[in-house]
Amino acid sequence: MTAQEPAALQITEDRFWVYRRKLRDFWKLYRRSSLGKLGLVVVLFFVIIAIAAPWIAPFDPFAFVGDPFLKPSSTYIFGTDQVGRDIFSRVIYGTRVSLLVGLVASAMTIGLGSVIGLVSGYLGGWIDNVLMRITDLFIILPALPLMLIMASILGKGIMNIIIVITVIGWTATARMVRSQTMSLKERPFTEASRAIGSTDLHTIARHIVPNVFPLVFANGMIAIVDAILSEAGLSFLGFGDPSSPSWGMVLHFADTAGATVNGYWWYIVPPGICIMLLVMGFAFISYSTDQILNPRLRRR
Amino acid sequence: MVMRDYLLKRGASALVTLGLAVVLNFFLFRIMPGDPTRTVVGDFRVAPEARKILIHQFGLDQPLWVQFLLYLQNLLMGNLGVSFQYRGTAVASIIFGRRLFNTFILMGSSIAVALIIGIVVGTIAAWKRESKFDVFTVIFSLVTYSMPVFWLGMLIILVFGYYLGSIPIAGTISVGLTYSNIFEYAADYLHHMTGPFVTLTLSFVGYYFIIMRDSILDVFTEDYMLTAKAKGLSDRKILFRHAMRNATLPMVSLIAVEVTYLFGGATMTETVFSWYGIGRLIYEAVVMADYPVLQGIFIVMAVLVITANFCADIAYAFLDPRIRY
Repeated sequence: MTAQEPAALQITEDRFWVYRRKLRDFWKLYRRSSLGKLGLVVVLFFVIIAIAAPWIAPFDPFAFVGDPFLKPSSTYIFGTDQVGRDIFSRVIYGTRVSLLVGLVASAMTIGLGSVIGLVSGYLGGWIDNVLMRITDLFIILPALPLMLIMASILGKGIMNIIIVITVIGWTATARMVRSQTMSLKERPFTEASRAIGSTDLHTIARHIVPNVFPLVFANGMIAIVDAILSEAGLSFLGFGDPSSPSWGMVLHFADTAGATVNGYWWYIVPPGICIMLLVMGFAFISYSTDQILNPRLRRR
Repeated sequence: MVMRDYLLKRGASALVTLGLAVVLNFFLFRIMPGDPTRTVVGDFRVAPEARKILIHQFGLDQPLWVQFLLYLQNLLMGNLGVSFQYRGTAVASIIFGRRLFNTFILMGSSIAVALIIGIVVGTIAAWKRESKFDVFTVIFSLVTYSMPVFWLGMLIILVFGYYLGSIPIAGTISVGLTYSNIFEYAADYLHHMTGPFVTLTLSFVGYYFIIMRDSILDVFTEDYMLTAKAKGLSDRKILFRHAMRNATLPMVSLIAVEVTYLFGGATMTETVFSWYGIGRLIYEAVVMADYPVLQGIFIVMAVLVITANFCADIAYAFLDPRIRY
C-alpha cells in the first residue's frame, strides 16, 4: 500500500494542474463578457455588504431607535418602521439572510438533484423509472403553492425554508444530470474504466462527475436565483424567522404595516430593489457561464 | 397508428403521475407530528358530532391502509373533507365556486394577453436584432423577470392605487355596492381586476418574449428561411408566414408548463390584492392551518396541471408530426 502512495499523489497533483488550467481558460473567456463582469460586481457588492453589515448599518436592526413611521432623513436614510426600527439598518442586515439562504438552499438543491440524477442515469432500470416518475410529478406541480403547503406543515423558520426550497426544487438539476450521465455512460472512456474492473463508485467519481460538473455549475447560478426569489416569497407571506429578517421579511412587515396604502414608498422600494439587483447579478453570471460552458450557444 | 401509440403512452404516463400525486397528497398530511385526527378531520373549530362522523368516514380509527382506501373512495366521490376555518363547510364547495371562477378569469386573461404581446414583440425584436427596440425589450423583460411578483404588485398598488387613485386597492368587487344591471357589475369587477391583471401579465410577458425571441433566432438559421428569401418573398411575409409560425410551436408546450407557474404567481398576486380566488385561499388556509382545504387544493391543482400538460402533448403532436416518432 505504501508503495502506491506516491503514484496516487502524483495523479492528484496532475489533476490539480489540469483543473487550474481549465479554470484559467474559463476565466479568460469569462472576462470577455461584460454582462458577466457586471453580474460578478453586483454579487460581490452584496457579499461585501453582508460581511461588513455591522460597520455599514448605523443602528442595531432590532433596536427601537426612533418614533414609528418617520420619513427618510439624514439620520434614518429609509425612515423607520411601525415600531421605530431603522429600515436602512434592517435592509443592510437583511442582505446576510437573503444571500445565505439563497446560497445554502441552492447548494442543497443542486446536491440532491445531482445525486438523484447520477443514480438514476447510471443505474437505469426500475430505479431510474421510479425516480423519473417522481421527478415528473415535482416538475409538473406548482412550486410555490406546494412550498406553502410544506411550510405550513413544517412550521416557520429559516431552516424550514431551506428544506422546503430543496425538497421542491431539485428536479431540474436531476433531469439534466441524468441525461448527461446516460450519454457519458456510453462513451468509450467510461466503458474502458468499467472494463478494467473499476467499481461503479470510482467510475462515477472519476469519469462522470468531472464531466457533468460544468453544466451543474451553470445550472447552479439559476438555482440561486430561484432560491432567492422563493425565499423572498415565503418570507413575504410570513414564513420567515422574525429574529433574522431577510429582505422578504422586511417587505412582509411593510405589508402588515399598510405601507402600500399609506404611501410609505421608502419602506417598500429599497428591499425590493435589493432583491431585484441580486437576482439580476446571478442571472448575468449564469448567462455568461452558460455561453462559455454550453458549446451549442458559443457560435451565436 | 403511430398517433394512437403516442396518445396511449402519454395518457399512461399522465395517469401514473396523477396516481403519484394522490399518494403524495395522502402521506404529506399524515407525516405531521401529533394526532392525525386533528389534521384530517379538524380541531375545536369543527363540532364534536360532525367530528365523529368524519372520523368514521375517513376511517381514522383504523389502520393506515384502510385509511388510504377510504381516502381514495372519498376522493372519487368528490368528498374532500370539511374546512376548519369555515367551520365544517365542505371543501369541495369552497374550491368549486366563485373562487375557482375568479382565478380562472384572472389567470386566463393574463396568460392570453402576455402570450400575444410576447409573441408579437419577440418576433419584432428578433427581426431587428441589436436595434434599440431589441435592447430595450430585452432589458425590460430582464427587469420584470428579476422582480418578485408580490413586490411588483405592491409597487402597482403604491403608484396606481395610492398616488394616482385609479385602481381599487383590494378585493374583487366593491363592498356594499348594489348594481342596477350586469354591466355595472362587470365594470366594477374588471376595475378591481386591473391591478392583479397588470401584475400577472407583466410578470409573464418577459418570459414569453425571451423564449419567442430565442425561438425566432433559431428559425432564422434554418434552410427554409434562405429558400423563402431566394424565392423573393417580402420581409413581412417571411417573418410572419414562415418564421413566426414555426417559432410559435415550442410556445404550445410552454403554455402548459406556464399554467404551473401561474398558480405560484396567482398565489402571490391574489394575496397582495386580496383577490377572492384559489391563490388567496391557499394563503388563508396555510395561515389558518386549514389542512383539508390545502389537501383539496393540492389534488385539484394536480389534476389541472396534469391535464394541461397532457393536452399540450397532444396538441404538440398534431402540430409537429416529428414528435410522434
